[in-house]
Amino acid sequence: MDLQTRTEGDVIVVTIGGRLDAVTAPEYEQRIREMIDGGNSRFVVDFEQLDYISSAGLRGLLLMAKLLNAKGGRVCFANIQGNVQSVFDMSGFNTLFKMENSVAEALAALA
Amino acid sequence: MIKIERLSKKFDDLVVLADITTEIKKGEVVSIIGPSGTGKSTLLRCLNLLEKPSGGAIYIDGVDILDKKTNVAKIRQKMNMVFQSFNLFSHLSVLENLTLGPIKLKKMDVLAAQAKAMELLRLVGLAEKAHSYPDELSGGQKQRVAIARCLAMEPEIILFDEPTSALDPTMVSEVLSVIRRLAREGLTMAIVTHEMDFARDVSNRVLYMDDGLIYEQGPPEQIFENPQKEKTKAFINRIRSYGCRVSSPDFDLYAMNAEIEAFCDKQILPKSSRDHLLLLVEELLQLYTPYLSTTTLDLTIAYSEKSERLEVVCESEGKELNPLVGDGLDDDLGLMIIRNLAESITHQWRDGKNRLEFLLK
Repeated sequence: MDLQTRTEGDVIVVTIGGRLDAVTAPEYEQRIREMIDGGNSRFVVDFEQLDYISSAGLRGLLLMAKLLNAKGGRVCFANIQGNVQSVFDMSGFNTLFKMENSVAEALAALA
Repeated sequence: MIKIERLSKKFDDLVVLADITTEIKKGEVVSIIGPSGTGKSTLLRCLNLLEKPSGGAIYIDGVDILDKKTNVAKIRQKMNMVFQSFNLFSHLSVLENLTLGPIKLKKMDVLAAQAKAMELLRLVGLAEKAHSYPDELSGGQKQRVAIARCLAMEPEIILFDEPTSALDPTMVSEVLSVIRRLAREGLTMAIVTHEMDFARDVSNRVLYMDDGLIYEQGPPEQIFENPQKEKTKAFINRIRSYGCRVSSPDFDLYAMNAEIEAFCDKQILPKSSRDHLLLLVEELLQLYTPYLSTTTLDLTIAYSEKSERLEVVCESEGKELNPLVGDGLDDDLGLMIIRNLAESITHQWRDGKNRLEFLLK
C-alpha cells in the first residue's frame, strides 16, 4: 500500500494506492489514527490508485469514520471505481459513506 | 471374448500396468481413456503380445494366450491392431499393403485377396488410391489404408492405439467416421483415444485408466456425464487445480496470492475472475485465522476448462468446523463479501473431515 497525504485548506487529502488488505490495513489504521489524534478532523480519501480492497481494508475505513464521529469530524471518499467499487457494493459501503467522483467534488462536499 | 485377469506389466522397476481385470464381450466397443502415461497403449500391446505381460492372464475365446503352448500367430489373426503411426510398408502399393497378409499368412488366392482388398478400400473411401504408394497419401488416407489392411485379415477384434493422434485436426474426422462405421457393423473393438466426443458416441463401455489401473469403468453416459470418482471427474471436466496447506495464523498471504495469480495466468482467466478469487481466498483465510493455531487448512482452487467454472475447497480435519457460521465474528463484512462472490456454498462434515466448497459466480 502506498499512502500519501497533502493539505487542502483544513482538509487532509489521503491518497492510497495498491492494496488495502489484511496485511496493509493495520498500517492504514495507524496512520489515520495518528492524523486524527494530531487534531485533523476533515479528510478526503482518494481511491483512484487503489487496486484492491478486502474486508480488512473496509474495517480500516470504518474505524476512520468512527474516530472522526467521536471528534465531530467528517470524511468524504473520491474516485471509487472498478474492483474497489464492486467490494463497496457487495458490503453495502456505498450507502454508508459520502462519496464523490473526484477529489475536487469531495473537497467541495466538505466545504 | 477377451478376458483379462490381474494383468500387470513392469519395465524394470517402472510399474505401467498394476492390476488390470476386465472383459470385452463380442460385438462390444470399448474405449480406453485417461491421462498420458497411465498404461493405455501398453494394455493394448499386451493384448496383442507386442509386450510380454509381467503377470496375470489374458484369455481370448477361453484360450490362455500367455500359455507357452498357445499358437500366438493364430491368436494374432483373430486380433489385429491399428497403430497411431500407420506402420504401412512404404515400398508396397496400397493394394499390396492390403493383400500381403492374406496371401502370405492366410494363403489366400491372389485374385481373391485383391478383390477383397478393393472391397475394403471402397469401404474406407480409397479405392482410387489402390495403386498409389503410402508416401503419396495424406495422414488421414494412410490411416484409412491401415484400417483397411487390418480388416483384410478378417480379425474378430480390432485394437486401435490412438488412431488419430498423429493426424492433422482436419484429417481426424475422416478416420473416426470409418471407425464409427465399423462399430455400427458390430465389430469388436478396443480403442485407446483422446477424442472424448468420439469415445462417448462410439462406445458401449468406457474404461478410465489412471496409475496403471482401471480406475473407473461404465457406460459412456456415466463416465462422461456423471463420473463417480474424483480422478475421473477431474479428467472429464479437464480440471486444473492449485492447492496449498495453511498451518499457522501467520501465513504469508502475498506468497499465496502470487501463486494464485500464476495459476490464473496459466489458465488465462480474466482479471475479474482473478480479483474475485484473490478476494474470496483472503476473506476465507481471515475467517479461518482464529482456528489455524490448532487446525490445518488445505485449500484447493479448481478450474474446469470444460465448464469454465472456478471452485474453492477448504478442507480441515478434526471436530466440525464451519467458520462461516461461527459466532466469534466481530462483524459480517467478510461473510457478506463471500456470499456475494459465491454462487453456491456447501459444508460437509464427514468421518472427521470438514469440507467447505464455494462455486464462484
